[in-house]
Amino acid sequence: MKLTRREFLKLSGITGGTIAASSLLSGGLKTLIAGAKGSLTTVDERTPTTCWIGKQECGLLVRKVNGRVVKIEGHPAHPRNQGTLCPKGISQIMALYDPNRVKTPLLRTNEKGIPGEWEPTTWDEALRIVGERIKDVRARDNDLLVWQKGRSKAGNFYDTAFVKASGATKLHHGGFCSDAGYRACEYTIGLHGVLHPDFRHARYVLSWGWNATNAGGNKLCWLTWPRQLVKAREAGMQMAVIDPRLRGAAHFADDWLPIRPGTDLAMALALCNGLIEEGTVDWDYLRQYTNSPYLVNEEGNFVRDGDTELVWDQASGMAVPHDTPNVDAALEGAFDFDGEQVRPAFQVFKEHIAEYTYEMAEEICGVPAQKIQKVAQDLGENAMIGSSIEVEGSVLPYRPVSIMAYHMAQQELGFQAIRAMLMVTMLLGAVGAVGGQRSDFTWKIHGNYEKLDEIEIGDPPYNIYLKNSQYFPINSNNSSLVSWVQQNPENYGVDTIPEVVILHMVNPLTAFPDQRVMIDTYKKFKFVAAIDPWLSKTADYFADVILPAATLEKYEGPMGVSDQYTDAQSLRVPPVEPLFQSRGEIDIYIDLCEHADILYGEGGYIDQINQAFRFEEDFALPLNSKPATRDIFDRWARSEGIEEGVEFFEQIGLHDKGSVPATSYYGYATDPVFGGAVHRLYGESLLGYQREMRARGVDEIYWQDYTALPTWRKPTMDLSPDDYDLYLISFKMIEFKQSRASQIPLLAELAPQSFLEINPVTARERDINDGDEVWVESHNAVTLETRRVKVTAKYRESIRPDVVGMPHHYGEVARHPWAQGQGPTPNELFFTGEGYVANTADQSFHVKVKVSHV
Amino acid sequence: MAKYGMVIDISRCTGCRACMEACKVENNTPQGSFFMYVFRFEEGEYPNTRIWFMPRPCMHCDNPPCVKVCPVGARYKMAEGFTATDWDRCIGCRYCEVACPYGVNYFNWRNPAESHYLNWEDDREIELILDGEVLPYANPDLELEYGPEMRHNAGGGRLKGVVEKCTFCIHRVENGLDPACAANCPTNALHFGDLEDPESEASQILHEQSGFQYLEDVGAEPRVHYVGGHPPTTETREIEIVNVRV
Ligand code: SF4
Ligand code: SF4
Ligand code: SF4
Repeated sequence: MKLTRREFLKLSGITGGTIAASSLLSGGLKTLIAGAKGSLTTVDERTPTTCWIGKQECGLLVRKVNGRVVKIEGHPAHPRNQGTLCPKGISQIMALYDPNRVKTPLLRTNEKGIPGEWEPTTWDEALRIVGERIKDVRARDNDLLVWQKGRSKAGNFYDTAFVKASGATKLHHGGFCSDAGYRACEYTIGLHGVLHPDFRHARYVLSWGWNATNAGGNKLCWLTWPRQLVKAREAGMQMAVIDPRLRGAAHFADDWLPIRPGTDLAMALALCNGLIEEGTVDWDYLRQYTNSPYLVNEEGNFVRDGDTELVWDQASGMAVPHDTPNVDAALEGAFDFDGEQVRPAFQVFKEHIAEYTYEMAEEICGVPAQKIQKVAQDLGENAMIGSSIEVEGSVLPYRPVSIMAYHMAQQELGFQAIRAMLMVTMLLGAVGAVGGQRSDFTWKIHGNYEKLDEIEIGDPPYNIYLKNSQYFPINSNNSSLVSWVQQNPENYGVDTIPEVVILHMVNPLTAFPDQRVMIDTYKKFKFVAAIDPWLSKTADYFADVILPAATLEKYEGPMGVSDQYTDAQSLRVPPVEPLFQSRGEIDIYIDLCEHADILYGEGGYIDQINQAFRFEEDFALPLNSKPATRDIFDRWARSEGIEEGVEFFEQIGLHDKGSVPATSYYGYATDPVFGGAVHRLYGESLLGYQREMRARGVDEIYWQDYTALPTWRKPTMDLSPDDYDLYLISFKMIEFKQSRASQIPLLAELAPQSFLEINPVTARERDINDGDEVWVESHNAVTLETRRVKVTAKYRESIRPDVVGMPHHYGEVARHPWAQGQGPTPNELFFTGEGYVANTADQSFHVKVKVSHV
Repeated sequence: MAKYGMVIDISRCTGCRACMEACKVENNTPQGSFFMYVFRFEEGEYPNTRIWFMPRPCMHCDNPPCVKVCPVGARYKMAEGFTATDWDRCIGCRYCEVACPYGVNYFNWRNPAESHYLNWEDDREIELILDGEVLPYANPDLELEYGPEMRHNAGGGRLKGVVEKCTFCIHRVENGLDPACAANCPTNALHFGDLEDPESEASQILHEQSGFQYLEDVGAEPRVHYVGGHPPTTETREIEIVNVRV
């Protein structure tokens, strides 16, 4: 009775002609004795489109009766959601028709820094005002213009086109989400992603801070991962959970290691050390595909002949280029080369981590040594090193162990912690093997693999996010840090402070820490325009002009919607016309660019769209006439070989690309293997950056984590006074996503108020009862500032006694009846700046706090 | 004749509550009314803690206490397994609510138009779209009569002063569709089907796995069965509770 993906594809002949999705789903099959009485003199139809809330762009079928949307359901053929939706996906129907949306363009009539007073205006007037401001700053200096977006939905061609056409500096949300992990994986194995399993073949997964029942994981939203998790567990997969809270993994945890926040790096190195001690190491992988055999001299540099790194050939007892055919490269030992002691990188690694015993990890991480040892043993056993399996005709290494890790990357030692975690699965030879460690959907090497290895640290002045600076050579572009820098630009060699910011569906005031810094910064912008369907708190306090965007009722895309095994393309198409006076973003940008004189001609917005889509000849949009958004997608679809053009998506919603072949999925099956990237166990260039930073005289706090190998140190927060005796962590709930969901009444009803999870033992020591109001006060160990919020305490036996937790995404929208009184966000307690960002400028979501009865 | 029931696989449930929302939108239930409710449970003490989830629709009992107490026959049992409510007949005495051991009945204290989450009526543009409907997503299927008896037994959010509960989505089942909750569950934890038919997916799961019925000993003979877990005990604590009264 459920229409499966296969049936849908069959019915719709999805690779051939088009059939309206609406014709596929009329019931017809009567199972009861009598049918329904009466007839509906209605037009009952279904429009395929794409979810507008979460990041993974689930496919939708929108049921409309007489033109009114009555239900949003999952698209049965969509690889990611196969006919299902998460609670947000279902509930977005209420956002569509919410009378509290911003309905017309608005102009501010009062001063900034307080809730706005707004006057409706026409699109023409609003766009003219914003366009003038853009023209004005561009005429003086492009660096005065900033464009900032929250999570980009539906691909980002039109964002990028605007940024390029206007020359704005782009800020985004990655530095809050997981970017420290992206940088670690790009640098180490060349893939753009964090860590996830090959669930189809997995036997043992370490769920490392993965909030499996509430939040997304690497690359996908919540929905697809739990589907794959449940299947894998029914096929026998075991899952150990490393997390201060059990709530995320819930009953899917076979074993729980409640780790102390910020100590993941030490735990990972203890696992590495354990694997080496137990001898469960894939030597062949390390020798052939990583820089483990490269010889390292006493200064920590690779020994080279010209540009080529040398290895120690055990047969000849000589250092030879690593690419010498049939070389028998040593991984261990110390050798004499030109009168200097040299060691293979693996030997250096082994010696480096020798002190990370299970006992040391117990001390640091607060998890019993035997539990950590058990994980190392389970990893070693389940990795089945040396085994292989046939997939699609090729025999490939089979290493069914991996780590799932994502948002936990956002911690002070995040970059090196993810590197250390990746090293665990590298030792096991699981990277890119069947059932093993994944980071992206295919094995396409990202540009950052090279770029992050050859950064040229520049001299000031730096741009506002300190690109290529001596402070954060690897730089994820963190908007919190940007605001921090704007407070004291002279301290960072920044001399241009932007004047105009365009906020696109982003709400820094609530969504980013540190809130006080955010307020001070946005106050200083001379002009703020917001593109948003909602009156975000930031817009309410600081916007001069608000341009009402549509929710899901617009054209957007295109999107690649692989679930890692099956690939497809989709678009967002409007099931109804944009409501009120709202407009789709692409329409808004086209008109805005026209007003700012950056639409037409070479280098203009239209030209940038042509370039983004590589539109050539017939497909290219003429540079001198205004395109219609639907036409852009029509050209795109045709340029992809879809004859019916955009209509194909309007009818079917999904262009099926079939299963991802093993030759692009498995690192061992690609040609060349692993896309040709040598995996960097040893980070020579990281050490190089440290040297240069020190030579330039920057403080230790910036360079201390630029080490060739991950090295444990106490996070800066641990320097807070002893009475700040608890760690605050934050988490996401399944009900909410960024600034798009907490005001949706159906969702707000499920989770009406923010709260503080606290272990009952900790609470009772403080005379706190379940449900009591408490003060939570955080402390910045560097600036010595404090912050404080009042929140309701909730007893949880599923959280470490020295940890308290708060959910994100409450109270994002101003003056919405369902967002009133939702309580504080943990971003009121977190800090940014030194000690609270990683060496890659990524934001940390950890801080020491004290909790007391109100 | 098919005789329907539901088999809920607790081992698959992630507690996401998407089923609750699918039900609410499909059946137009008002604020605070959850034909489907998902318990989020915690058991044990740190660090030996367990968290699990238990979806709870109406049990559609074969020996339904609610039917026995209904003075007007508005609550009735259908041969196809449904324990149905005729909203046209209900007088709002709430005896069913008291008699039901499972707490699945919801009394409409207010005119549903006033408890449909937002004020949909003061907006000219919305009004044009709604064309007189209370909820923007009002489902027209719910107006029809279903089952051999042809009664008003679909959906919720109808009238002030009536009791409503899970209908097993009779309006969908009659058209060959799974109930909204089961059709949407991302991890396929809810299996709806003909429990008399040994070939149905639901029967097969029930056959293969040992299950339990919620509050089995009260003798109401639920047509909803659970597999892949254990019933809540006195040690089970509910967390992240949703307030069911407005
Ligand atoms: S999982 Fe994400 S993309 Fe899918 S329905 Fe939910 S919010 Fe939308
Ligand atoms: S939708 Fe499925 S997984 Fe989610 S709470 Fe309901 S039964 Fe559980
Ligand atoms: S069967 Fe229908 S009415 Fe009952 S809980 Fe599921 S969706 Fe709601």
